[in-house]
Amino acid sequence: MLHLLDVLASGVHDTKNQLFIAEAMVTATEARTQTDLSEIRYAIETAAARLSQTLATYHLLRHGSSISITPVIISDLCEEAGLAQKHHLAASHIELEIDCQVDEAWPLDRDLVSDALNNAIQNAARFAKNHIRLSAQLTEAGLCLRVEDDGPGFSSLPPASGTGLQLAERLASLHTRKERHGHLHLANGGTLGGAVFEFHLP
Amino acid sequence: MTDFSKKRFLVIDDLPLARDALRTVAQSVGAFMVEFATNYQDAIFRIRNNTPDIILCDYMLGDGRSGQQLLEELRRFELLPDETIFMMVTGEQSYEQVVSAVELVPDDYIIKPFSPDKLLLRLQRITQKKQFFAKYYREKRRKEFGKALATLQAQMASDDAKPYRFEILRQQAEVLIKAGEPEAAESAYRKILDNYEFPWARAGVARALHNQNKLTEAREEIDRVVAHSPQYFDAADLKANICMSQGEHAEAQQILDDASRRTPRNYLRKRLLAEAATLNGDTATATATMADVISNDTMPGAISAADRLMQARSLVNAGDNITAEKVLFSLRESDVQNFDLDSQASFSALLSIASPGKGKPKFTGLRPALLDSTLSMPTHLDVMRASLWLQDFELADRHAKHLMADKDAKKIFNTVRSQYALHGRENDFRNIQRQVAMQRIHHDEPKAEINESAAG
Repeated sequence: MLHLLDVLASGVHDTKNQLFIAEAMVTATEARTQTDLSEIRYAIETAAARLSQTLATYHLLRHGSSISITPVIISDLCEEAGLAQKHHLAASHIELEIDCQVDEAWPLDRDLVSDALNNAIQNAARFAKNHIRLSAQLTEAGLCLRVEDDGPGFSSLPPASGTGLQLAERLASLHTRKERHGHLHLANGGTLGGAVFEFHLP
Repeated sequence: MTDFSKKRFLVIDDLPLARDALRTVAQSVGAFMVEFATNYQDAIFRIRNNTPDIILCDYMLGDGRSGQQLLEELRRFELLPDETIFMMVTGEQSYEQVVSAVELVPDDYIIKPFSPDKLLLRLQRITQKKQFFAKYYREKRRKEFGKALATLQAQMASDDAKPYRFEILRQQAEVLIKAGEPEAAESAYRKILDNYEFPWARAGVARALHNQNKLTEAREEIDRVVAHSPQYFDAADLKANICMSQGEHAEAQQILDDASRRTPRNYLRKRLLAEAATLNGDTATATATMADVISNDTMPGAISAADRLMQARSLVNAGDNITAEKVLFSLRESDVQNFDLDSQASFSALLSIASPGKGKPKFTGLRPALLDSTLSMPTHLDVMRASLWLQDFELADRHAKHLMADKDAKKIFNTVRSQYALHGRENDFRNIQRQVAMQRIHHDEPKAEINESAAG
């Protein structure tokens, strides 16, 4: 008997393959016509990311599944988030600043953490005036990935928890190392005066 | 910035549209030479004949094959130099689970859909990493393990090494295993585990312990890995190997049977299954599995003389001497003459059982060479068996002694005992056991774990 999750996963997988074909066609058109269609590609990638996130949410929140840890070079992780978002944000006159103070590799789930960061940046972009900052640093407790903006901040703390935040919280706590769990920390203020999203990993 | 226009790309995907898409993206990062492989065999053929610089391989290759299997086969047959970039491309987020568990990983993987910029960034990073490890790769390929380790050690301290800390530790451990230094490999793997509980590092500890013949400890470690990472089939193989060393052949066969069912096109695993089934006395499974390997492992040059001998061995075990003879005679006479002593000995021993008229003269001709030679375990067994069969008990006892004195004696204990019993020579077997035990005390060697089963 087919498991519902397998059916969903297979559908998501096929769709992402199709979206890749679509994105490659856009890329080919860009090359042929010398035009910038990056916003179309961004829309395609965002759609794919939403699909992945839906599946991940089901996996992590309902299914009790585990995460996949590999050593990830933190500066690469930050650079990729910048690559994914910077261009799009610039169109809305928002600057994404990246400040990575971590040289080494850290054990974490690259795909899910990267999705969570992208999500946090997209959320920040909805409220930011013109500045978002992604930073990474080592603390006594481990690694801290922080997304800050210069918007009005969370209207209440803790904020009303949507699926994205629940997922991020669960994802952080699934990162364990020598009995220590990761956690999510939300605040207002920070270096830019707006909302602060902190992802702490042991 | 790397100039990718001079690099040779190979795109491996069974779906035409997806291949075109990958080529488009490769071209947009500057690739000029992009070749296609449309399936698993085609990919191996192309990589063997003209190794590309960069491989973009889809995870799903159709026909029950995966990109991961391709990668493993390429690495094992040493068809993929460390300098070649192997990038797995997948729409499946679940591939991450594979990468986080297993020992053989691609340089990187990328999830579809992705922008050309993202691919470019990743390829540049891998290129940087390959440059960092370039000297080490060269030394490792020349099997200059001491130098390779010294290079890693020297690099570890540099600032450039910071992002590669885990990778350096992992490479150190792998080279130490290759260099035959399992104690040092164990401590290198444990150093990684001090940082994080990676399944592949835990499996590395088990492998290092197995190589030190610390079987009980090795078993405990690998049990943990198998329980936590069911998709990690190499760990299942390692567990089966440890079980065999412990003389637990039924369990080894069970593990390999399960893993093989989930990876039906992995013929290295099937060979291991045939070995376990043979040791377990399940001749039907052993013959069927070897027949499957020989007719379906289409990897060029994959079917070796050792495979034919294994097939003949399993047929002899099953009492099918006619087919065994046919298999042995399918080997070319000129090839047989070029065999090393091990293969020649196994060939003539098996032939003298399957077809005494033709085999006995060959076997007798080799006798002087076999009297004092140390051979591989399966060959010792073949020679012992043929000698018992031909009532050359002096030769049989010599080879039985070799086997029983081996550190891996538990593995073949039951086989040797049952062969001696078959010829009504239980007493001689017990004598051999006694002599081997005496020798061990005499040489003051550490006692192998043979004694407990010897009592049975």
